[in-house]
Amino acid sequence: MARQRPFEPYDYFLKAGAVRPARRFFAFAASCHFDTAAAVMIAVSLVTAYLVLPPLYSVIQTSLFTTKLTGEIDRFTFSYYSNLFSELRVLGPLLNTIYFSMGSALLATLFGGTIAWLVTRTDTPLRGLGYFTAFASFGTPFILYTIGWLLLLGKAGPVNYWLKTLFTQTGPVINIYSLFGMIFIESLLWSPFVFLMLAAAFRSMDPSLEEASAACGARMWQTMRKVSLKLMLPAFFSVLLLIFIRSFESFEIPALVGLPGDIRVLTTSIYMDAQKLPPQYGSAGAFSVLLMLVVACTLYLYFRVTREGERFQTVTGKGYRPTVIQLGRWRYFAMFGLITYATVLLVLPFLIILWASFLPFYIQPSLDAIGRFTLKNYVTAVHFPKITDSIKNSILLGLGSASAVMVLTLLASWLLVRTKMRGRWLLDILTTLPLLFPGIVMGLAILRFYLFVPIPIYGTLWILLIAFVTRYIPYGIRYTHSGLLQLHRELEEAAYTAGASWSNCMRRIILPLMTPSFLGGWLFIFLLSAKELSMSVLLVSPQTPVVSVAIFELWENAQVGELAAFGVLWTLILVSIAVLYYLFARRYGIQQN
Amino acid sequence: MLKQIPNLFVRGLLSLTLLAAILGRQSLHAATVEEVALMNRADRQKILVEGAKKEGKLSLYTTLIVDQVVRPVKEAFEKEYPFVQVDFFRGNSERLVQKMMAEYQAKRYEVDIIDGTVSPTMVRRANLLQRFFSPVLAEYPSELKDPQGFWGSTNLYFFATGYNTRIIKPNEAPRTYEDLLNPRWKGQMMWSTSRGSGAPIFIGTILNTMGPEAGKAYLQKLRTQNIAKTTASNRQVLDLTIAGEYPLALHIFNHHAFISKTAGAPVDWIPHEPVTATIQTIALAKNSPHPHAAMLFMDFVMSEKGQKVFQQSNYLPAHPKVPAKQLDLKPGGGRFKRAYYINPDTQYDKGNEWVDYFNNVFVK
Repeated sequence: MARQRPFEPYDYFLKAGAVRPARRFFAFAASCHFDTAAAVMIAVSLVTAYLVLPPLYSVIQTSLFTTKLTGEIDRFTFSYYSNLFSELRVLGPLLNTIYFSMGSALLATLFGGTIAWLVTRTDTPLRGLGYFTAFASFGTPFILYTIGWLLLLGKAGPVNYWLKTLFTQTGPVINIYSLFGMIFIESLLWSPFVFLMLAAAFRSMDPSLEEASAACGARMWQTMRKVSLKLMLPAFFSVLLLIFIRSFESFEIPALVGLPGDIRVLTTSIYMDAQKLPPQYGSAGAFSVLLMLVVACTLYLYFRVTREGERFQTVTGKGYRPTVIQLGRWRYFAMFGLITYATVLLVLPFLIILWASFLPFYIQPSLDAIGRFTLKNYVTAVHFPKITDSIKNSILLGLGSASAVMVLTLLASWLLVRTKMRGRWLLDILTTLPLLFPGIVMGLAILRFYLFVPIPIYGTLWILLIAFVTRYIPYGIRYTHSGLLQLHRELEEAAYTAGASWSNCMRRIILPLMTPSFLGGWLFIFLLSAKELSMSVLLVSPQTPVVSVAIFELWENAQVGELAAFGVLWTLILVSIAVLYYLFARRYGIQQN
Repeated sequence: MLKQIPNLFVRGLLSLTLLAAILGRQSLHAATVEEVALMNRADRQKILVEGAKKEGKLSLYTTLIVDQVVRPVKEAFEKEYPFVQVDFFRGNSERLVQKMMAEYQAKRYEVDIIDGTVSPTMVRRANLLQRFFSPVLAEYPSELKDPQGFWGSTNLYFFATGYNTRIIKPNEAPRTYEDLLNPRWKGQMMWSTSRGSGAPIFIGTILNTMGPEAGKAYLQKLRTQNIAKTTASNRQVLDLTIAGEYPLALHIFNHHAFISKTAGAPVDWIPHEPVTATIQTIALAKNSPHPHAAMLFMDFVMSEKGQKVFQQSNYLPAHPKVPAKQLDLKPGGGRFKRAYYINPDTQYDKGNEWVDYFNNVFVK
């Protein structure tokens, strides 16, 4: 079968007698970047919809139907919602949840925001410590920190012991198993995240407004209150909202810290209910839907605030650095604060975990315990089944999901920021949606979806990759969106005027300029996926072990010692990746975003 | 041309995989799972071995701890039958059941054997188990096997109270359930919320052994003791006891306390008669893809030889002729006489009631 000439797109239209419109369309498409944009828009929206919609559908379905013993969908019901509200009628858990999430959001923003301000806007010595702490802390798996702080601050822990002797009290001085304890630990966990996001915002602030205020004779604190804080409002609000959502749906801290102290929140209530057999996911589904509604309202509010906020922002392509505030004598006080923060966040929990890793069983720090030191835990940890496989898999997954998310969200952000296409709002919503799923719900939804659709990725690393990419899209958006906002569109326009194609412009203008936020987001997602647990725990197969699940299994079953040893090893690997990145970023003068 | 190679290659590979999957599935279902499972004839072993050689592997969904016992059992079995490779997936009961049910709904039959204190019963209610026959079952007492042949058992768990020996002297430790009501222990105790090994099972034992009336009266008194709760496993509760956070750990496994004590930890266990016991059951999946290998595995783990592997791992073998490595961990070994065995069906049927009771009475 000989083909006379290669197929040309015109042929079809020639035959169909639609020569001119077709020609015009193709000519237009070839010359004008906006139609490339349309194509990109369609592609990006389809990919995002494919990732996000199945879990959404599955959540709504689970919340509205009972399941048979075999897990099949059975009857339509509203009972999960009414149960949820009868659960709410016992107002306690709901109030606790609100206190807990608000408290954590506020305290985390206070911690992270203060450090971000000190690091970006003042002449505090040792400012680099802020970035280092933030990156390094991302490396430590969540559960390790929590155990570390519980051992430190627990009733029999060293802190209470010292306080007891100091104040000659008989009982423990601090009760960590309380609402305050929960808020304290949760906000510490989130503060590096706040720091990274607010540091970026502080940096991109136009100093001319502050200078103008100072020129008008305002004092420093007046400028801060009336100008700087107002400029930062959208950023603050966005961070507060994020932490609020995450704390609202978090389970680990309420379970580990709240339950022993009888502080019950919605997630722990649902967990206790879900202990029944046969398992019912309806209440978890209904809870997710409720959460989505709450978040949707808050997001609406947020968008209104930021729309106002954008009028304040005068972000252009001009190079400037915000003025550095001279703290004078307070510099050393600020440095002390920074060091304390790094110590509490990173050093102390790591030390106590390190301590535990050398002991056959956990003993409170004391001199005579040193005599029991052993390396046995490390030997066991290294011989943990498939440890090299799980490390390899976790790193592969981190690389894959970070790259995929950043490319996808760079394109999506470009569409959101640069184009005025209709239907942008849809993409906006699609890329925000994953934020609303509790991890376990998304894990189950993805599991069920890929068991039914004939795409053979069940039991492979691909299903984990898809789950991670879906979950981390909103984080990628945060980075790329704010990065793109900082680039003035005139740079792109200049490229188009000079005859560059869309892909050329993307490759040679946007990507290089976006490197800092791109890499910042990349690393962030890499570290997040390296410790992701709630989805992985359902999606791993015997052939695809990952580190976080291995650590979780040790936590569930083995002793603190082995867990600590494995945790120490994994933390060292991740911290060295973070340090490499940090050095790289400094070497090439990349501003961390 | 060159550009097409990867594409062709990938396509070829995909279709080959598909073909292999289809063929593989057909050949495995040549002899039905039921026939293999219920086979009871003189040359059973020979047929199983021949079949297993063709199957080459089996897949086990297990709740047992990988380091402590799954790997030793796997090694021992693979030494006995070198042509079968054991793949395992470890998770708690709920997770195993979730996974198996999701797979069966999608008609993906990956699992051969499922174990756990309650997971086999759960999947049995969903009709996903196959009855089986094994000659070794005859060596077990009736409470350790299913009358209809849906499950056998591999090991037993006995619950006890763990205590920190630095904080509580052995002669002060609570000996009986009544002793737990002593005001001295107020705020000093912790238990796990776990359905299969925590507070709900404790409640079940009390209600069944004391009777509903007296049992509820006791539990109402116990409630005022402010027992701390955690969703972590009872192994974690024991660790907190060793660390001194909560000097008394309610309802922990006695062999966990023993293992830690042997390592030098300041901890010991006290039984409260009658001691609650749960049974680790093991069962065959309805559409087991490797039934021959699976039956060989079942025979092996329940045989005296397989049970010795559990014994060496400091687990408590179910086989009546295989004692615990540390004798006093099993009833009649010197530290306690009576055990109250909670049958998996009871645990399933009554479990929701116990969970509800726990949530209503003990959770604020």
